Amino acid sequence: MADTIEWLETIGKNAALRRAPAEKLAETLEATDATAALKAAVKSQDRSALFAELGHKPVRMHNMNGPSHPEEPDHDHDEHAPTRPPRPDQDQPSRDR
Amino acid sequence: MTLGSHLTPLARDHIEQADVVFAALSDHIVEMWLQRMNQDVRSLQPYYAEGKSRLKTYKEWVDLMMAEVRAGKRVCAVFYGHPGIFAWSTHKAIEVARAEGFQAFMEPGISAEDCLYADLGIDPGRFSCQHFEASQLLFYEHRINPAGYVVLWQTSVVGDWSLMRLETGPAYRQLLVDRLSQDYPLDHEVIIYYGATLPIEQAKIRRLTLRDLSDTTLAPQETVVLAPAAPLRPNLPMRERLAELDKAIGFA
Repeated sequence: MADTIEWLETIGKNAALRRAPAEKLAETLEATDATAALKAAVKSQDRSALFAELGHKPVRMHNMNGPSHPEEPDHDHDEHAPTRPPRPDQDQPSRDR
Repeated sequence: MTLGSHLTPLARDHIEQADVVFAALSDHIVEMWLQRMNQDVRSLQPYYAEGKSRLKTYKEWVDLMMAEVRAGKRVCAVFYGHPGIFAWSTHKAIEVARAEGFQAFMEPGISAEDCLYADLGIDPGRFSCQHFEASQLLFYEHRINPAGYVVLWQTSVVGDWSLMRLETGPAYRQLLVDRLSQDYPLDHEVIIYYGATLPIEQAKIRRLTLRDLSDTTLAPQETVVLAPAAPLRPNLPMRERLAELDKAIGFA
């Protein structure tokens, strides 16, 4: 018996399921041992239906792929920092994760 | 990056063979999926904190990873999308590890950018395509080419110098609109794109005008895309030089 995480992986790697219209996918799952929560999430196209089963931990996403500050601003010492060109050897986070 | 769809076989093998896996993922559910691949998955999420600079968080991440590397462990860091795009800590950890004599490398992943091309039907080679972190567009004098596509990342925190805020508001987005209006008419279409992270979802695509962008709330995962607003302009002097060069080498 597959659990919801296994079902999600199965759907994710199955061409027919991944691109199936929501109604069609819901129909397919109806005849399986998928949980009521997954069936509801598919039917409603709303992931929050999964929260009751899998829990809900909000995740911080500072960009799916993050900020780019080529250099860290130093407001105390250089009020013109935002217009200063980035140093090639800059060693500060220029991205968001 | 979509659960089940976009993890490469090689990346999965690294995860499965690692002694320790650090995870910075898009989704709690994706993290649960990752936990099926390795017994020791450690989320990096708890190191974020309200009012704490993300810069500090990212340095802590590097320290965490390097502590395990120095302890002789085989360490794998799993980041959503492509681990080298908009990611400082992954590049830094590799740099530090190599400097200390450890073998370290990065495997590419399928990023939101990749999904965006597929879902929006954009070929960056057709008219060219520029990418900007939205804040950079305000902080620096970047030159926008409105004859090509323009993709703006992290628009939900546009204008934030602090790396501490989770979002900036309409007034900040209005500054972005002001900047973009130097190159685009205010009625130019703006696409808001959200790539699916769960395989039961599809991409979400919203379309609005540039003038409405400031009053439109954006999620951190959403990306702004502007289609070309002007035709490609031929570079006649360069075309002439190319013709002369072709002739000189006997190609034409």
